[in-house]
Amino acid sequence: MVMEILKRYFSWALDKTMESRLQTLSDGPLFKGISKKLLRKLLVDLIEKKYAEGDIIFHEGEVGKAFYVVLEGSVKIIKESNPENKTLHVLGPGSHFGELALIGNTSRFASAVAEKDSLLLIMYKSYFDDLIRRNNAISTKILLNLAEILSDYIHRNQPE
Amino acid sequence: MKLLRNIVMSDKRHKSGTLLNDLREIHNQIPRWVLILLALGLAAVVVTRITQLIIMLIAAGAVAYILNSVITAFERLGMKRSVAVILLFVFAAMLVIVTNRIFIPDLNQEIMNVYARFPEFSRQIQDALLLTAQSSAGKYPFIESSIMKFVDIVFGPGGFLERTLSASEILMQATPFIMAFILVPFFVFFLLKDWPGAMRRVMGWVPASYVETTISVIEEINILVGKYLRGLAADCFVIGALASAGLWLIGVNYPLTLGILSGVANIIPYFGPVIGCTVSSFVALMQYRSFDPLLNVIVLYIVIKLMDDLVIQPLLIGKGVHLHPMLLVITLIVGEKLFGIMGMISGVPVVTAAQKTAVILLEHHRDKQRRESTRSTIKLNPVKSPVRPI
Repeated sequence: MVMEILKRYFSWALDKTMESRLQTLSDGPLFKGISKKLLRKLLVDLIEKKYAEGDIIFHEGEVGKAFYVVLEGSVKIIKESNPENKTLHVLGPGSHFGELALIGNTSRFASAVAEKDSLLLIMYKSYFDDLIRRNNAISTKILLNLAEILSDYIHRNQPE
Repeated sequence: MKLLRNIVMSDKRHKSGTLLNDLREIHNQIPRWVLILLALGLAAVVVTRITQLIIMLIAAGAVAYILNSVITAFERLGMKRSVAVILLFVFAAMLVIVTNRIFIPDLNQEIMNVYARFPEFSRQIQDALLLTAQSSAGKYPFIESSIMKFVDIVFGPGGFLERTLSASEILMQATPFIMAFILVPFFVFFLLKDWPGAMRRVMGWVPASYVETTISVIEEINILVGKYLRGLAADCFVIGALASAGLWLIGVNYPLTLGILSGVANIIPYFGPVIGCTVSSFVALMQYRSFDPLLNVIVLYIVIKLMDDLVIQPLLIGKGVHLHPMLLVITLIVGEKLFGIMGMISGVPVVTAAQKTAVILLEHHRDKQRRESTRSTIKLNPVKSPVRPI
Protein backbone atom coordinates (compact mmCIF):
# COMPACT_ATOMS: atom_id res chain seq x y z
CA MET A 1 0.00 0.00 0.00
CA VAL A 2 2.73 2.46 1.09
CA MET A 3 4.84 1.39 -1.88
CA GLU A 4 1.94 1.92 -4.28
CA ILE A 5 1.38 5.47 -3.01
CA LEU A 6 5.12 6.16 -3.15
CA LYS A 7 5.41 4.77 -6.68
CA ARG A 8 2.44 6.79 -7.88
CA TYR A 9 3.14 10.21 -6.43
CA PHE A 10 6.76 10.18 -5.33
CA SER A 11 8.58 8.24 -8.04
CA TRP A 12 11.37 10.89 -7.94
CA ALA A 13 12.07 9.87 -4.34
CA LEU A 14 12.45 6.16 -5.11
CA ASP A 15 15.83 4.46 -5.41
CA LYS A 16 15.80 2.96 -8.90
CA THR A 17 19.17 1.21 -8.56
CA MET A 18 17.78 -0.67 -5.58
CA GLU A 19 14.74 -1.76 -7.58
CA SER A 20 16.94 -3.29 -10.31
CA ARG A 21 19.15 -4.99 -7.67
CA LEU A 22 15.98 -6.40 -6.09
CA GLN A 23 14.94 -7.90 -9.40
CA THR A 24 18.39 -9.51 -9.79
CA LEU A 25 18.22 -10.98 -6.27
CA SER A 26 14.66 -12.29 -6.52
CA ASP A 27 15.51 -14.01 -9.84
CA GLY A 28 18.28 -16.06 -8.15
CA PRO A 29 17.48 -19.50 -6.64
CA LEU A 30 18.77 -18.60 -3.15
CA PHE A 31 16.31 -15.75 -2.66
CA LYS A 32 13.26 -17.18 -4.43
CA GLY A 33 10.02 -16.96 -2.47
CA ILE A 34 11.24 -14.05 -0.34
CA SER A 35 9.02 -11.00 -0.70
CA LYS A 36 10.52 -7.81 -2.14
CA LYS A 37 9.71 -6.06 1.12
CA LEU A 38 11.94 -8.50 3.02
CA LEU A 39 14.60 -8.50 0.31
CA ARG A 40 14.81 -4.72 0.56
CA LYS A 41 15.70 -5.12 4.24
CA LEU A 42 18.52 -7.44 3.26
CA LEU A 43 19.79 -5.41 0.33
CA VAL A 44 20.33 -2.20 2.30
CA ASP A 45 22.84 -3.93 4.58
CA LEU A 46 24.94 -5.79 2.00
CA ILE A 47 28.24 -4.53 0.64
CA GLU A 48 29.01 -3.96 -3.05
CA LYS A 49 32.46 -4.39 -4.54
CA LYS A 50 33.83 -4.02 -8.06
CA TYR A 51 36.37 -6.60 -9.25
CA ALA A 52 38.63 -6.10 -12.25
CA GLU A 53 38.99 -8.82 -14.88
CA GLY A 54 41.28 -11.56 -13.56
CA ASP A 55 40.92 -10.59 -9.86
CA ILE A 56 40.87 -13.67 -7.65
CA ILE A 57 37.82 -13.35 -5.39
CA PHE A 58 38.85 -16.26 -3.18
CA HIS A 59 41.10 -19.29 -3.34
CA GLU A 60 40.24 -22.94 -3.05
CA GLY A 61 41.09 -24.18 0.45
CA GLU A 62 40.51 -20.83 2.21
CA VAL A 63 38.03 -20.80 5.06
CA GLY A 64 34.91 -19.24 3.56
CA LYS A 65 33.70 -16.08 5.30
CA ALA A 66 31.32 -14.57 2.76
CA PHE A 67 28.68 -15.29 0.17
CA TYR A 68 28.54 -13.48 -3.19
CA VAL A 69 25.87 -12.51 -5.71
CA VAL A 70 26.92 -11.43 -9.22
CA LEU A 71 25.21 -8.13 -10.08
CA GLU A 72 27.19 -7.28 -13.22
CA GLY A 73 29.89 -9.07 -15.22
CA SER A 74 30.78 -12.75 -14.83
CA VAL A 75 32.77 -14.97 -12.48
CA LYS A 76 34.58 -18.25 -13.16
CA ILE A 77 34.60 -21.04 -10.61
CA ILE A 78 37.89 -22.91 -10.98
CA LYS A 79 39.25 -26.10 -9.42
CA GLU A 80 42.82 -25.08 -8.55
CA SER A 81 43.81 -28.50 -7.28
CA ASN A 82 43.04 -29.95 -10.70
CA PRO A 83 46.21 -30.07 -12.86
CA GLU A 84 44.38 -28.27 -15.70
CA ASN A 85 42.77 -25.65 -13.44
CA LYS A 86 39.41 -27.01 -14.54
CA THR A 87 36.66 -24.38 -14.88
CA LEU A 88 33.57 -25.73 -13.19
CA HIS A 89 31.21 -22.99 -14.16
CA VAL A 90 30.88 -19.44 -15.44
CA LEU A 91 28.39 -17.38 -13.46
CA GLY A 92 26.52 -14.35 -14.84
CA PRO A 93 24.33 -11.63 -13.29
CA GLY A 94 21.85 -13.01 -10.73
CA SER A 95 24.01 -16.06 -9.94
CA HIS A 96 25.48 -16.62 -6.52
CA PHE A 97 28.48 -18.49 -5.14
CA GLY A 98 30.27 -19.11 -1.84
CA GLU A 99 26.96 -20.05 -0.19
CA LEU A 100 28.45 -22.82 1.99
CA ALA A 101 30.33 -20.14 3.95
CA LEU A 102 26.97 -19.14 5.45
CA ILE A 103 26.40 -22.46 7.17
CA GLY A 104 29.78 -23.32 8.65
CA ASN A 105 33.51 -22.69 8.74
CA THR A 106 34.19 -24.96 5.77
CA SER A 107 37.06 -24.50 3.32
CA ARG A 108 36.28 -23.30 -0.20
CA PHE A 109 35.85 -26.24 -2.58
CA ALA A 110 37.02 -24.17 -5.58
CA SER A 111 38.43 -20.75 -6.45
CA ALA A 112 36.46 -17.81 -7.87
CA VAL A 113 37.98 -15.46 -10.46
CA ALA A 114 36.39 -12.41 -12.13
CA GLU A 115 36.15 -13.32 -15.80
CA LYS A 116 35.22 -9.74 -16.76
CA ASP A 117 35.02 -6.51 -14.77
CA SER A 118 32.29 -7.46 -12.30
CA LEU A 119 30.14 -5.96 -9.57
CA LEU A 120 29.40 -8.33 -6.69
CA LEU A 121 27.11 -8.09 -3.70
CA ILE A 122 28.74 -9.56 -0.58
CA MET A 123 27.08 -10.98 2.52
CA TYR A 124 29.44 -11.66 5.40
CA LYS A 125 28.90 -14.74 7.57
CA SER A 126 28.57 -12.86 10.87
CA TYR A 127 25.91 -10.67 9.22
CA PHE A 128 23.96 -13.81 8.26
CA ASP A 129 24.38 -15.18 11.81
CA ASP A 130 23.01 -11.88 13.10
CA LEU A 131 20.16 -12.11 10.58
CA ILE A 132 19.22 -15.56 11.92
CA ARG A 133 18.80 -13.98 15.35
CA ARG A 134 17.04 -10.82 14.13
CA ASN A 135 14.92 -11.88 11.19
CA ASN A 136 13.79 -15.47 11.04
CA ALA A 137 11.53 -14.87 8.04
CA ILE A 138 14.47 -14.09 5.72
CA SER A 139 17.12 -16.39 7.17
CA THR A 140 14.83 -19.46 7.34
CA LYS A 141 13.81 -18.97 3.71
CA ILE A 142 17.46 -18.59 2.62
CA LEU A 143 18.48 -21.74 4.54
CA LEU A 144 15.55 -23.70 3.03
CA ASN A 145 16.53 -22.54 -0.47
CA LEU A 146 20.13 -23.49 0.25
CA ALA A 147 19.03 -26.95 1.41
CA GLU A 148 17.04 -27.29 -1.82
CA ILE A 149 20.07 -26.30 -3.93
CA LEU A 150 22.27 -28.82 -2.09
CA SER A 151 19.74 -31.66 -2.36
CA ASP A 152 19.28 -30.87 -6.05
CA TYR A 153 23.05 -31.08 -6.54
CA ILE A 154 23.23 -34.40 -4.68
CA HIS A 155 20.38 -35.85 -6.77
CA ARG A 156 21.95 -34.74 -10.04
CA ASN A 157 25.33 -36.18 -9.14
CA GLN A 158 24.20 -39.55 -7.76
CA PRO A 159 25.56 -42.54 -9.71
CA GLU A 160 22.99 -44.15 -12.05
CA MET B 1 74.66 3.12 8.39
CA LYS B 2 73.52 0.79 5.65
CA LEU B 3 70.45 2.95 5.13
CA LEU B 4 72.53 6.12 4.94
CA ARG B 5 74.92 4.49 2.46
CA ASN B 6 71.99 3.43 0.31
CA ILE B 7 70.58 6.95 0.37
CA VAL B 8 73.98 8.37 -0.69
CA MET B 9 74.26 5.74 -3.42
CA SER B 10 70.77 6.59 -4.58
CA ASP B 11 71.78 10.27 -4.70
CA LYS B 12 74.73 9.37 -6.94
CA ARG B 13 72.44 7.51 -9.28
CA HIS B 14 70.11 10.47 -9.42
CA LYS B 15 71.44 11.65 -12.76
CA SER B 16 70.52 8.40 -14.49
CA GLY B 17 66.98 7.92 -12.97
CA THR B 18 64.02 10.12 -12.13
CA LEU B 19 63.55 11.61 -8.67
CA LEU B 20 60.39 9.57 -8.19
CA ASN B 21 62.24 6.31 -8.87
CA ASP B 22 64.96 7.28 -6.40
CA LEU B 23 62.41 8.12 -3.74
CA ARG B 24 60.68 4.79 -4.36
CA GLU B 25 64.02 3.02 -3.99
CA ILE B 26 64.76 4.81 -0.70
CA HIS B 27 61.25 3.96 0.48
CA ASN B 28 61.84 0.29 -0.33
CA GLN B 29 65.06 0.30 1.69
CA ILE B 30 63.53 1.73 4.88
CA PRO B 31 62.29 -1.10 7.13
CA ARG B 32 58.49 -1.30 7.29
CA TRP B 33 58.36 -0.93 11.10
CA VAL B 34 60.22 2.39 10.85
CA LEU B 35 57.63 3.65 8.36
CA ILE B 36 54.76 2.47 10.57
CA LEU B 37 56.31 4.19 13.62
CA LEU B 38 56.82 7.41 11.63
CA ALA B 39 53.23 7.30 10.37
CA LEU B 40 51.90 6.70 13.89
CA GLY B 41 54.04 9.55 15.27
CA LEU B 42 52.82 11.91 12.55
CA ALA B 43 49.22 10.84 13.15
CA ALA B 44 49.65 11.47 16.92
CA VAL B 45 51.03 14.99 16.27
CA VAL B 46 48.18 15.82 13.86
CA VAL B 47 45.57 14.40 16.27
CA THR B 48 46.81 16.49 19.22
CA ARG B 49 46.78 19.64 17.03
CA ILE B 50 43.16 19.27 15.91
CA THR B 51 41.55 17.72 18.97
CA GLN B 52 38.49 19.99 18.87
CA LEU B 53 37.73 19.01 15.28
CA ILE B 54 38.24 15.33 16.08
CA ILE B 55 35.91 15.59 19.09
CA MET B 56 33.24 17.11 16.84
CA LEU B 57 33.80 14.39 14.23
CA ILE B 58 33.49 11.67 16.90
CA ALA B 59 30.25 13.24 18.19
CA ALA B 60 28.91 13.60 14.64
CA GLY B 61 29.90 9.99 13.87
CA ALA B 62 28.05 8.72 16.94
CA VAL B 63 24.90 10.74 16.14
CA ALA B 64 25.05 9.69 12.47
CA TYR B 65 25.45 6.06 13.50
CA ILE B 66 22.35 6.17 15.70
CA LEU B 67 20.31 8.05 13.06
CA ASN B 68 21.48 5.69 10.31
CA SER B 69 18.99 3.08 11.50
CA VAL B 70 16.18 5.58 10.79
CA ILE B 71 17.58 6.31 7.31
CA THR B 72 17.94 2.57 6.63
CA ALA B 73 14.28 2.11 7.58
CA PHE B 74 13.32 4.70 4.93
CA GLU B 75 15.62 3.02 2.39
CA ARG B 76 13.93 -0.30 3.06
CA LEU B 77 10.72 1.34 1.85
CA GLY B 78 12.54 1.98 -1.42
CA MET B 79 13.26 5.66 -0.79
CA LYS B 80 16.44 7.38 -2.05
CA ARG B 81 18.94 7.92 0.74
CA SER B 82 19.36 11.64 0.04
CA VAL B 83 15.58 12.20 0.23
CA ALA B 84 15.41 10.21 3.48
CA VAL B 85 18.22 12.32 5.04
CA ILE B 86 16.52 15.60 4.08
CA LEU B 87 13.19 14.34 5.46
CA LEU B 88 14.87 13.33 8.73
CA PHE B 89 16.52 16.75 9.13
CA VAL B 90 13.24 18.57 8.43
CA PHE B 91 11.52 16.32 10.98
CA ALA B 92 14.33 16.86 13.54
CA ALA B 93 14.11 20.65 13.12
CA MET B 94 10.35 20.54 13.62
CA LEU B 95 10.74 18.27 16.63
CA VAL B 96 13.25 20.64 18.26
CA ILE B 97 10.93 23.61 17.72
CA VAL B 98 7.80 21.81 18.97
CA THR B 99 9.58 20.22 21.96
CA ASN B 100 11.08 23.54 22.90
CA ARG B 101 7.69 25.26 22.75
CA ILE B 102 5.41 22.65 24.28
CA PHE B 103 7.19 20.06 26.36
CA ILE B 104 10.30 21.78 27.67
CA PRO B 105 9.02 24.90 29.52
CA ASP B 106 9.14 23.07 32.88
CA LEU B 107 12.74 22.02 32.32
CA ASN B 108 13.68 25.47 31.01
CA GLN B 109 12.04 27.02 34.05
CA GLU B 110 13.96 24.69 36.33
CA ILE B 111 17.29 25.47 34.61
CA MET B 112 16.56 29.22 34.63
CA ASN B 113 15.70 29.00 38.33
CA VAL B 114 18.99 27.26 39.08
CA TYR B 115 20.85 29.87 37.00
CA ALA B 116 19.04 32.85 38.58
CA ARG B 117 19.57 31.55 42.08
CA PHE B 118 23.18 30.54 41.47
CA PRO B 119 24.71 33.43 43.51
CA GLU B 120 22.38 32.53 46.37
CA PHE B 121 23.30 28.83 46.09
CA SER B 122 26.99 29.58 46.06
CA ARG B 123 26.58 31.73 49.19
CA GLN B 124 24.60 28.91 50.83
CA ILE B 125 27.31 26.35 50.01
CA GLN B 126 29.92 28.75 51.33
CA ASP B 127 27.92 29.22 54.56
CA ALA B 128 27.39 25.46 54.97
CA LEU B 129 31.10 24.80 54.46
CA LEU B 130 32.15 27.59 56.85
CA LEU B 131 29.71 26.24 59.44
CA THR B 132 31.27 22.78 59.11
CA ALA B 133 34.75 24.30 59.37
CA GLN B 134 33.80 26.15 62.56
CA SER B 135 32.23 23.07 64.14
CA SER B 136 35.31 20.96 63.46
CA ALA B 137 37.80 23.69 64.38
CA GLY B 138 38.52 22.41 67.89
CA LYS B 139 38.60 18.66 67.21
CA TYR B 140 39.97 18.47 63.63
CA PRO B 141 42.09 21.53 62.77
CA PHE B 142 43.23 19.79 59.56
CA ILE B 143 39.62 19.59 58.26
CA GLU B 144 39.05 23.23 59.18
CA SER B 145 42.14 24.43 57.31
CA SER B 146 41.31 22.23 54.28
CA ILE B 147 37.75 23.57 54.07
CA MET B 148 38.96 27.17 54.43
CA LYS B 149 41.51 26.62 51.66
CA PHE B 150 38.82 25.07 49.41
CA VAL B 151 36.40 27.97 50.08
CA ASP B 152 39.16 30.45 49.25
CA ILE B 153 40.09 28.68 45.98
CA VAL B 154 36.50 28.29 44.79
CA PHE B 155 34.60 31.25 46.25
CA GLY B 156 37.32 33.76 47.09
CA PRO B 157 38.12 36.93 45.08
CA GLY B 158 39.62 35.83 41.75
CA GLY B 159 38.67 32.24 42.64
CA PHE B 160 37.33 29.47 40.41
CA LEU B 161 33.70 30.68 40.42
CA GLU B 162 34.54 34.32 39.75
CA ARG B 163 36.79 33.33 36.84
CA THR B 164 34.33 30.80 35.43
CA LEU B 165 31.31 33.10 35.62
CA SER B 166 32.97 36.19 34.11
CA ALA B 167 31.41 37.22 30.78
CA SER B 168 34.66 36.85 28.82
CA GLU B 169 35.30 33.37 30.27
CA ILE B 170 31.72 32.26 29.52
CA LEU B 171 32.09 33.54 25.94
CA MET B 172 35.43 31.79 25.54
CA GLN B 173 34.08 28.52 26.95
CA ALA B 174 30.86 28.81 24.91
CA THR B 175 32.60 29.35 21.54
CA PRO B 176 33.47 25.67 20.94
CA PHE B 177 29.92 24.68 21.93
CA ILE B 178 28.42 27.21 19.49
CA MET B 179 30.77 25.92 16.78
CA ALA B 180 29.81 22.34 17.62
CA PHE B 181 26.12 23.30 17.55
CA ILE B 182 26.56 24.44 13.94
CA LEU B 183 29.20 22.01 12.69
CA VAL B 184 28.01 18.70 14.22
CA PRO B 185 24.62 18.73 12.39
CA PHE B 186 26.50 19.75 9.22
CA PHE B 187 28.87 16.76 9.57
CA VAL B 188 25.97 14.45 10.50
CA PHE B 189 24.08 15.45 7.34
CA PHE B 190 26.96 14.60 5.01
CA LEU B 191 28.00 11.49 6.92
CA LEU B 192 24.45 10.15 6.60
CA LYS B 193 24.02 11.15 2.96
CA ASP B 194 27.39 10.04 1.58
CA TRP B 195 28.33 7.09 3.81
CA PRO B 196 27.33 4.26 1.40
CA GLY B 197 29.09 6.03 -1.51
CA ALA B 198 32.24 6.48 0.60
CA MET B 199 32.07 2.81 1.63
CA ARG B 200 31.79 1.76 -2.03
CA ARG B 201 34.83 3.89 -2.87
CA VAL B 202 36.83 2.44 0.03
CA MET B 203 35.82 -1.10 -0.98
CA GLY B 204 36.99 -0.26 -4.51
CA TRP B 205 40.49 0.45 -3.16
CA VAL B 206 40.67 -2.77 -1.12
CA PRO B 207 42.70 -5.45 -2.96
CA ALA B 208 40.62 -8.50 -3.90
CA SER B 209 42.55 -10.79 -1.53
CA TYR B 210 41.70 -8.54 1.47
CA VAL B 211 37.97 -8.10 0.77
CA GLU B 212 36.67 -10.81 3.11
CA THR B 213 38.98 -9.64 5.92
CA THR B 214 37.97 -6.00 5.40
CA ILE B 215 34.27 -6.86 5.44
CA SER B 216 34.91 -9.00 8.49
CA VAL B 217 36.47 -5.99 10.28
CA ILE B 218 33.66 -3.65 9.15
CA GLU B 219 30.95 -6.08 10.28
CA GLU B 220 32.59 -6.72 13.68
CA ILE B 221 33.06 -2.99 14.33
CA ASN B 222 29.54 -2.28 13.10
CA ILE B 223 27.99 -4.84 15.44
CA LEU B 224 30.18 -3.71 18.35
CA VAL B 225 29.71 0.05 17.94
CA GLY B 226 25.99 -0.38 17.29
CA LYS B 227 25.56 -2.47 20.40
CA TYR B 228 27.62 -0.01 22.47
CA LEU B 229 25.90 3.18 21.28
CA ARG B 230 22.35 1.82 21.46
CA GLY B 231 23.10 0.29 24.87
CA LEU B 232 24.70 3.48 26.12
CA ALA B 233 21.74 5.63 25.03
CA ALA B 234 19.29 3.24 26.74
CA ASP B 235 21.53 3.04 29.83
CA CYS B 236 21.66 6.86 30.14
CA PHE B 237 17.89 7.04 29.85
CA VAL B 238 17.32 4.39 32.54
CA ILE B 239 19.92 5.91 34.90
CA GLY B 240 18.45 9.39 34.37
CA ALA B 241 14.94 8.10 35.13
CA LEU B 242 16.11 6.20 38.24
CA ALA B 243 18.07 9.20 39.56
CA SER B 244 15.12 11.56 38.93
CA ALA B 245 12.68 9.22 40.68
CA GLY B 246 15.07 8.59 43.59
CA LEU B 247 15.86 12.28 44.15
CA TRP B 248 12.15 13.12 43.96
CA LEU B 249 11.42 10.44 46.61
CA ILE B 250 14.18 11.74 48.88
CA GLY B 251 12.78 15.25 48.44
CA VAL B 252 15.78 16.91 46.77
CA ASN B 253 14.94 19.96 44.62
CA TYR B 254 15.20 19.91 40.81
CA PRO B 255 14.99 16.11 40.43
CA LEU B 256 14.37 16.32 36.65
CA THR B 257 17.43 18.48 35.91
CA LEU B 258 19.64 16.46 38.24
CA GLY B 259 18.31 13.20 36.77
CA ILE B 260 19.09 14.33 33.20
CA LEU B 261 22.55 15.49 34.32
CA SER B 262 23.18 12.14 36.05
CA GLY B 263 22.00 10.23 32.97
CA VAL B 264 24.19 12.22 30.59
CA ALA B 265 27.21 12.12 32.95
CA ASN B 266 26.78 8.35 33.19
CA ILE B 267 28.20 8.12 29.65
CA ILE B 268 31.65 8.67 31.16
CA PRO B 269 32.85 5.36 32.61
CA TYR B 270 33.66 5.42 36.36
CA PHE B 271 33.68 9.25 36.73
CA GLY B 272 30.14 9.85 35.43
CA PRO B 273 28.25 8.55 38.49
CA VAL B 274 30.64 10.53 40.75
CA ILE B 275 29.79 13.75 38.86
CA GLY B 276 26.01 13.09 39.18
CA CYS B 277 26.33 12.23 42.87
CA THR B 278 28.52 15.28 43.65
CA VAL B 279 26.17 17.79 41.99
CA SER B 280 23.07 16.23 43.61
CA SER B 281 24.86 16.26 46.99
CA PHE B 282 25.62 19.97 46.60
CA VAL B 283 21.97 20.69 45.81
CA ALA B 284 20.86 18.65 48.84
CA LEU B 285 23.42 20.46 50.99
CA MET B 286 22.14 23.85 49.86
CA GLN B 287 18.52 22.84 50.32
CA TYR B 288 18.80 21.34 53.82
CA ARG B 289 21.94 23.14 55.07
CA SER B 290 22.90 19.92 56.77
CA PHE B 291 25.06 16.92 55.97
CA ASP B 292 22.36 14.39 56.98
CA PRO B 293 20.45 14.21 53.66
CA LEU B 294 23.80 13.74 51.89
CA LEU B 295 23.86 10.17 53.15
CA ASN B 296 20.51 9.48 51.42
CA VAL B 297 21.81 10.95 48.15
CA ILE B 298 25.06 8.97 48.33
CA VAL B 299 23.21 5.72 49.15
CA LEU B 300 20.82 6.40 46.23
CA TYR B 301 23.72 6.81 43.79
CA ILE B 302 25.51 3.72 45.15
CA VAL B 303 22.31 1.67 44.67
CA ILE B 304 21.90 3.06 41.13
CA LYS B 305 25.55 2.28 40.31
CA LEU B 306 25.21 -1.29 41.60
CA MET B 307 21.99 -1.79 39.61
CA ASP B 308 23.73 -0.33 36.56
CA ASP B 309 26.76 -2.64 36.85
CA LEU B 310 24.91 -5.81 37.81
CA VAL B 311 21.62 -5.59 35.91
CA ILE B 312 21.20 -2.69 33.48
CA GLN B 313 24.55 -2.69 31.63
CA PRO B 314 24.77 -6.47 31.16
CA LEU B 315 21.21 -6.40 29.79
CA LEU B 316 21.56 -3.34 27.55
CA ILE B 317 25.21 -3.27 26.45
CA GLY B 318 26.20 -6.90 27.01
CA LYS B 319 29.68 -8.28 27.50
CA GLY B 320 30.87 -7.63 23.95
CA VAL B 321 32.41 -4.24 24.72
CA HIS B 322 33.98 -4.96 28.08
CA LEU B 323 37.70 -4.29 28.40
CA HIS B 324 40.11 -5.67 30.95
CA PRO B 325 39.91 -3.32 34.00
CA MET B 326 43.58 -2.30 33.65
CA LEU B 327 43.20 -1.56 29.94
CA LEU B 328 39.97 0.31 30.69
CA VAL B 329 41.69 2.66 33.18
CA ILE B 330 44.62 3.23 30.77
CA THR B 331 42.12 3.93 27.96
CA LEU B 332 40.25 6.45 30.13
CA ILE B 333 43.43 8.28 31.17
CA VAL B 334 44.87 8.43 27.63
CA GLY B 335 41.44 9.39 26.20
CA GLU B 336 41.08 12.19 28.73
CA LYS B 337 44.59 13.49 28.05
CA LEU B 338 44.04 13.53 24.28
CA PHE B 339 40.39 14.55 23.84
CA GLY B 340 39.00 15.37 27.30
CA ILE B 341 35.58 13.99 28.23
CA MET B 342 34.86 12.95 24.63
CA GLY B 343 38.04 10.87 24.70
CA MET B 344 36.87 9.10 27.86
CA ILE B 345 33.49 8.35 26.28
CA SER B 346 34.74 7.14 22.90
CA GLY B 347 37.91 5.45 24.21
CA VAL B 348 36.21 2.18 25.24
CA PRO B 349 34.53 1.33 21.89
CA VAL B 350 37.57 2.55 19.93
CA VAL B 351 40.03 0.36 21.88
CA THR B 352 37.66 -2.64 21.80
CA ALA B 353 37.24 -2.21 18.04
CA ALA B 354 41.04 -1.94 17.62
CA GLN B 355 41.45 -5.13 19.68
CA LYS B 356 38.95 -7.03 17.49
CA THR B 357 40.52 -5.64 14.29
CA ALA B 358 43.97 -6.79 15.41
CA VAL B 359 42.64 -10.31 16.08
CA ILE B 360 40.96 -10.48 12.63
CA LEU B 361 44.10 -9.17 10.86
CA LEU B 362 46.29 -11.70 12.67
CA GLU B 363 43.90 -14.49 11.65
CA HIS B 364 44.03 -13.24 8.05
CA HIS B 365 47.85 -13.15 8.14
CA ARG B 366 48.01 -16.70 9.50
CA ASP B 367 45.49 -17.92 6.93
CA LYS B 368 47.46 -16.24 4.11
CA GLN B 369 50.73 -17.80 5.23
CA ARG B 370 49.13 -21.25 5.39
CA ARG B 371 47.58 -20.75 1.95
CA GLU B 372 50.77 -19.52 0.32
CA SER B 373 52.60 -22.63 1.39
CA THR B 374 50.11 -24.85 -0.50
CA ARG B 375 48.98 -22.66 -3.42
CA SER B 376 49.13 -23.59 -7.07
CA THR B 377 48.87 -21.05 -9.90
CA ILE B 378 45.55 -20.37 -11.59
CA LYS B 379 45.38 -20.63 -15.37
CA LEU B 380 42.09 -19.63 -16.96
CA ASN B 381 41.37 -22.77 -18.94
CA PRO B 382 37.61 -23.27 -19.42
CA VAL B 383 36.11 -26.76 -19.27
CA LYS B 384 32.30 -27.31 -19.01
CA SER B 385 31.04 -28.98 -15.85
CA PRO B 386 27.93 -28.99 -13.62
CA VAL B 387 27.57 -26.36 -10.84
CA ARG B 388 28.60 -27.45 -7.38
CA PRO B 389 27.87 -25.31 -4.32
CA ILE B 390 31.10 -23.87 -2.91
